[in-house]
Amino acid sequence: MSIPSDLATAPLTLQEPGRHPEHGRRTRRKLIAIAGGPNCGKSTLFNKLTGLRQKVANYPGVTVEKKAGFVPLPSGRTVEVLDLPGTYSLRPGSPDEVVVRDVLLGVQASTPLPDLTLLVLDSTCLDRQLYLCMQLIEIGRPVVIALNMMDTAKEEGLEVDAALLARAFGAPVIPISGRTGSGMRELLLAMDREVAPPRAVTRTLPEPLRAAADPLTRMLPITGPLASLSRFHVAMALLLDEGEDDSLMRAVPHPLRREVLSLRASLDEEIPEWRSHEPIGHYRTIEDLIRRSTLRLKPETSVRERIDRVLTHRVLGPILFAALMAVIFQSMFLWATPIMNAIDAGVNALGRVLAPLLPAGPIRSLVVDGAIAGVGAVVTFVPQIAILFLFIALMEDSGYLARAAFIMDRLMRGVGLSGRAFIPLLSSFACAIPGIMATRTIDNRRDRLTTILIAPFMSCSARLPVYALLIGAFIPNRMVLGFLSLPGLVLFSLYMMGILAAVLVAWVLKRTALRGPRPLYVMELPPYRVPSWRSVILTVRDRAGLFVQKAGTVILAVSIVLWFLASYPKNAEVKPLEKRLEAVEHGAAASAALGVGAKAETKALRAEAAQIQNQIAGVSLRDSFAGRAGRLIEPAIAPLGFDWKIGIALLSSFAAREVMVSTMATVYNLGDADQTSVSLREKLRHAENPKTGERAYSPLMAVSLMVFFVLACQCMSTVAVVRRETNSWRWPIFMVLMMNALAWIASFAVFQGGKALGLG
Amino acid sequence: MTPRPSRQARGATRKLGELEAGARAVVRRVSGAPELLHRLMELGFVPGTTVTLVRRAPMGDPIELRLRGTHFSIRNSEADRIDVDPI
Repeated sequence: MSIPSDLATAPLTLQEPGRHPEHGRRTRRKLIAIAGGPNCGKSTLFNKLTGLRQKVANYPGVTVEKKAGFVPLPSGRTVEVLDLPGTYSLRPGSPDEVVVRDVLLGVQASTPLPDLTLLVLDSTCLDRQLYLCMQLIEIGRPVVIALNMMDTAKEEGLEVDAALLARAFGAPVIPISGRTGSGMRELLLAMDREVAPPRAVTRTLPEPLRAAADPLTRMLPITGPLASLSRFHVAMALLLDEGEDDSLMRAVPHPLRREVLSLRASLDEEIPEWRSHEPIGHYRTIEDLIRRSTLRLKPETSVRERIDRVLTHRVLGPILFAALMAVIFQSMFLWATPIMNAIDAGVNALGRVLAPLLPAGPIRSLVVDGAIAGVGAVVTFVPQIAILFLFIALMEDSGYLARAAFIMDRLMRGVGLSGRAFIPLLSSFACAIPGIMATRTIDNRRDRLTTILIAPFMSCSARLPVYALLIGAFIPNRMVLGFLSLPGLVLFSLYMMGILAAVLVAWVLKRTALRGPRPLYVMELPPYRVPSWRSVILTVRDRAGLFVQKAGTVILAVSIVLWFLASYPKNAEVKPLEKRLEAVEHGAAASAALGVGAKAETKALRAEAAQIQNQIAGVSLRDSFAGRAGRLIEPAIAPLGFDWKIGIALLSSFAAREVMVSTMATVYNLGDADQTSVSLREKLRHAENPKTGERAYSPLMAVSLMVFFVLACQCMSTVAVVRRETNSWRWPIFMVLMMNALAWIASFAVFQGGKALGLG
Repeated sequence: MTPRPSRQARGATRKLGELEAGARAVVRRVSGAPELLHRLMELGFVPGTTVTLVRRAPMGDPIELRLRGTHFSIRNSEADRIDVDPI
């Protein structure tokens, strides 16, 4: 076995690879890949084997998750275990499946050829699961087969002859139950032993196909990554995998590639349906194996049928689904809000505690307003992400997620998406970030990208404070048609507008940039199972952790940049104010030290300090780079009815939309303001245009501004997550340009149209 | 890809998507673009396989099928690529 040179830099190596004591030479840990179909209990087994010794990363260049962990074996040595994505076949149709094939054939960059493959099969539906098994055996590398869910199979009246399967494949077959843990000891022992390569199962291939594969096997290189695999399998893989320039084709020399292409062409001519001979041959063998190894003692149980009759019922199904969505949506708002507020309060408190410890000036400002506020903005999203993924993990593990997609598919197809896109889009009403992360359940790349790009149009909870401020300030509280309140109606229209924009953009994208053959929509509807708490909790932990880790670093960096832009260059008026602030704070500290007697004085001094701080913020923002930028963009936003002060707010809202409210407060030099703050509302309403002396802001401007907030992409956390999920800058940049152009055009139409109609 | 003669006699060949909910049939032929065809066959839609249309989704599409002990949902447009002989 060759030692890969990039092992030391491989992203998944949790610790230094072991060094051989005598030779001082690096030796590689044994690598075991876990393969299996979707829903076979593979991940539960992986979690059981590795416990918390696991790490999630991405395979290089793709957004396929690489889950790896370490397992201590009975002999005392530790092996590295890789949990491959679930797949039905080794002939890839999606990026996930390309990764599985590439890892198992040893052509995946940064992942060495596994020493052993642990194939997990769901004993309750062996028939379909054996297809992957047949292909895996054919590779000719050591395989251990775990017959999972043997206890469930018994309950359902199925008896599987493990010994017969072991003889047929020439590989160890171990009955286990990931749920109860039975058979785990035997499985670990089998993973510890040296396993001989399995026996290829005889298969029936028509003579012309065999003849085509034959010369190819002779042309295969005898060195390199593919050399230790069955030549027949490699030849078949090359022939059957459709790609001309995919990773497997790139692993073989040029002349061989040309040979493969010409062989495919001649096979297409001679035997038009030659590709179907592999499945037909495999299934013939499988049917024979099933007949000999599996006994059905009882008729199939009807538990799932009884549940499905309700959950996918024509009328009840959609109602129950809507009710569940309402619960999820509500909890993302209701449960998350107190936690988010607590985090917010904690972050603010941390800032308050740290502030007096640091000298007033740039360092304090950088730490408190830049770093702490920026990281705080990231951490407040964690509760919503955790709650959404708790529900998604529960739905996925119980088997309900597939039914939800089944119910919603017809509706979502109206915009060219599949049923799987519904939950990510709905979650985006709470926050686009967990919504975008939830698109991982969509297997088609184009569908997933479309969903990611339209998710930020759903009005998230961060837009609500902005809507609330502007509606409160400018929309009269009147009744429409006698029973609808005008503010409520406006709020509803804003939400509808976002949905409409999403539908429109999805429709356009699916006909232009993301056009392509409609993917084959095949979804397994797995049996209902009680979710495993361990898997659910690990999923939630992974998602929240990934977000904090990856998006957090980008957000922190941008927060600091934004802080800098909003604080520099320093205005001359700031210096004396800072001096005064220091003096007042000093006085407050001294007064506090005096104890209870000086309580009133301390309070007054602290209030004065806060006021000076606001003054500093207002003065520095006005003349800062951000303030200048606000004035610079004024000509561009003037047609929308916005002045430079709103320009600053728009720019700063890129940190997070709700920041707009506090920025407005700072611009107007107010103290603590929130969306219900009467003083900020009054200020906005009565603000005057210094040139004309007229009211600066009209209700029409407010509507134009709200329309802008509905459509614009102003959230750097979203951009960071899109960057992460699409693994490129192309799509986040496209999203920012597209959304902001749309926002500008819509606001322009509203403001200018309204003025023409005499509304402004 | 010859269908089993004993099954052929029981009814006229139909498209899988045209079956009633609850009906069983035997796969006779799968057609379509090479990738799609290969994919469907890998999932077990090979000639001679018994398939049950379990139910239709609330809006009539997609459909739930039982095939080789597994339940799948596919769309009518794909189900129409599969010719079956009802049992």
